Amino acid sequence: MEAPVRKDRPSLFVLAKENVMKRKLHIPDQWKVRAFWLESGQAYLYLLPAFIILAVFTFYPFFSAFRLSLYKWSAIRPPGTYIGLTNYAKIFADRHFWNAVWNTFYYVAISVPVTLFLALLVANLLNKPLRMRTFARTSFFLAYITPLVAVAMVWSWMYDWRYGVLNYLLGFLGIDLINWLMDPRFAMLAVIIMSVWRFVGYQAIILLAGLQNIDKMYYDAAKVDGASGFRVWWNVTIPLLTPQIFFVFIMSMIGSFKVFTEIYVLFSGQPGPLKSAETLVFYILRIGRFDGNLLGRAAAASIFLFGVIFAFTLIQLFVTQRKVHYQ
Amino acid sequence: MLRKGILLGLIGLMLIGFGVFAQEPVTIEFWHSMSSGHQPYLVELVDKFMEEYPYITVNLTYQGGYGDTEDKVEASVVAGNPPTMVQLYENVITPLVEVLYPIGPQMTAEEKADILDGLVENNTFDGVLVSVPWNKSIMVLFYRSDLIDTPPTTWEEFATMAADLTVDIDGDGLIDRYGTGLRPYNPELFLNYLIQNGGTILNEDWSAVTIGDQAGVEAMQYAESLVPYSYISSGYLSDAVGSDLVAMFVDTSAGYYYNNKAAVDNGFELSVARVPAGPVNNKSAIQGTNLVVFDMGQTQAQKDAAVLLARFLIRPENTVAWSLRGGYLPVVKSAYEEQAWLDYLVENPEYIVMSEAMVDGFAQILHPNYGLMRGTIGGAFEEVILGASTAVDAMANLVLDLTDLLDD
Repeated sequence: MEAPVRKDRPSLFVLAKENVMKRKLHIPDQWKVRAFWLESGQAYLYLLPAFIILAVFTFYPFFSAFRLSLYKWSAIRPPGTYIGLTNYAKIFADRHFWNAVWNTFYYVAISVPVTLFLALLVANLLNKPLRMRTFARTSFFLAYITPLVAVAMVWSWMYDWRYGVLNYLLGFLGIDLINWLMDPRFAMLAVIIMSVWRFVGYQAIILLAGLQNIDKMYYDAAKVDGASGFRVWWNVTIPLLTPQIFFVFIMSMIGSFKVFTEIYVLFSGQPGPLKSAETLVFYILRIGRFDGNLLGRAAAASIFLFGVIFAFTLIQLFVTQRKVHYQ
Repeated sequence: MLRKGILLGLIGLMLIGFGVFAQEPVTIEFWHSMSSGHQPYLVELVDKFMEEYPYITVNLTYQGGYGDTEDKVEASVVAGNPPTMVQLYENVITPLVEVLYPIGPQMTAEEKADILDGLVENNTFDGVLVSVPWNKSIMVLFYRSDLIDTPPTTWEEFATMAADLTVDIDGDGLIDRYGTGLRPYNPELFLNYLIQNGGTILNEDWSAVTIGDQAGVEAMQYAESLVPYSYISSGYLSDAVGSDLVAMFVDTSAGYYYNNKAAVDNGFELSVARVPAGPVNNKSAIQGTNLVVFDMGQTQAQKDAAVLLARFLIRPENTVAWSLRGGYLPVVKSAYEEQAWLDYLVENPEYIVMSEAMVDGFAQILHPNYGLMRGTIGGAFEEVILGASTAVDAMANLVLDLTDLLDD
């Protein structure tokens, strides 16, 4: 027996078709104005150079790296032989890869919050009406603009286990000599200390700009309410500084996941004793360039790194979206 | 009849003359990694070549360090436009062999036979001499002759002497001078031990890793036994010898200038000896690059010109000139009988030892992944020297890591 069909109601297909027709017919008024098209065209024209640069130097390399990660590289017949996901399987089975992943997370987990915390303190200090404030601001920023090679050279002297100033100072506290650059337990810590020192000034300047943008009326209101110094800082300064804190946090996290130069210079081109300071970027360059030309594997590792950074950035965006206050 | 013959003869001579002297001008690109220290000597040699072959112009271009040059060569191959001639390490040559113009078949039998035996093998691919050796150095033993009268000649002697020379001079409980020095990441030193103990990295057809065999494990255990008597530093040991921290160490002959200067500047005497012999032989690791000619869009005239340049650079008198001024060692046998080299040996007797070592040295294997293999071997050596792993465990892991690289 055939199922009864209700005749008083049009079928879904008819409804959908009508809907599409209606939508097709709906043309926004602004589209009918010639000036709109001229203005939009002009805007896209201005964006074109940036888009070309992004396309050539960001999008194309990204897709190219992804494609490369599926091949066994050959310079003579690039990109080589298609091997599917073998490169991913190889790196996931490589203990040096996981060592690099661990080192990278270790570096990020310590250097990002420590740098941000110190930068907040420094920014607050620099925001106070101190003597020689401009000199102090410049001094903190100097660490960032000094060439990294020079910075690493000086730090490698300071880290020297026999004659370095760091061990000399630790000696006053009764701490035994630490072989900073040769002891695998301290090598990554040495990189972190140097990086924190280098980036505190840069982050402090950005946070300082944020601090100076906070309207004085919030502080006046807090004063009227009888809030203490710490209360004002915690309940007024920090919430209104969240856009800058968020920016600095995201940027420094992305930068930290890609740390390489500091290690390369501090350990004279090596990934630290027993690869104790080998990060993902170092690993990628070591297998793809320094020690060999396994570009397929290197590309697979770089896609993995992209995924990690992307995931963390999304999480941060999601978590901090509710915490960031715009004035 | 006679006139006619003379006339024909003259015409023939003229044609030959035109053939020789009226060569079409040809320009070749030569990419190298010889920085400011060595570059002037290379320029001199190439200028001399261009005087001899006036129709050839050589554009010498410094491309940065070896790694930079390798990157640029790879990029140029991908783009289908490599230079005519480059200096490269063996493992970089391997994956490029099919786009190279073999130099060997263009050389005379005498020229080929003159190349040092240890260097022929690592420039030969599928039985053909594809590239020629160029800037080469060798591992030797540097020792403080103000502390050591007779340098050690065997592993046992070296270990005993290293222990004896490790001293606490001021009696504060800390060692002031070590018998020897070790750089933790030093694959060549381990390979020296391996080869001297009769071991190999891979089997003959590269189908299996053999480094973990008894010979390899023993070689690593020997290195492990030296650790208590070794000053361990990631930096060059010239600093250590200048600071009176080590009495002897194995290093490349290319470091002679720096090691000797550090010692002499601080009032010590430094001498050179062969690397102490292992249970099987006393071979030393040869290091350095080779010359290749590309066959990827180059004209026949360019390839011929580049081959001429390669042959010119390894002529006995030229490899001697390059070695005298560049600090390397000659790459052909007859160079060691050149008067200029013999005179140099009289003034610099330490080069006698280096020359002897060079003649029966061994070079790196040609596997395309040798670069990564070398790094992995260096990593295993480092684990042992820094006490993070025993020799046995490090070798077991090394075999797994190298096996992974075999088929990639």
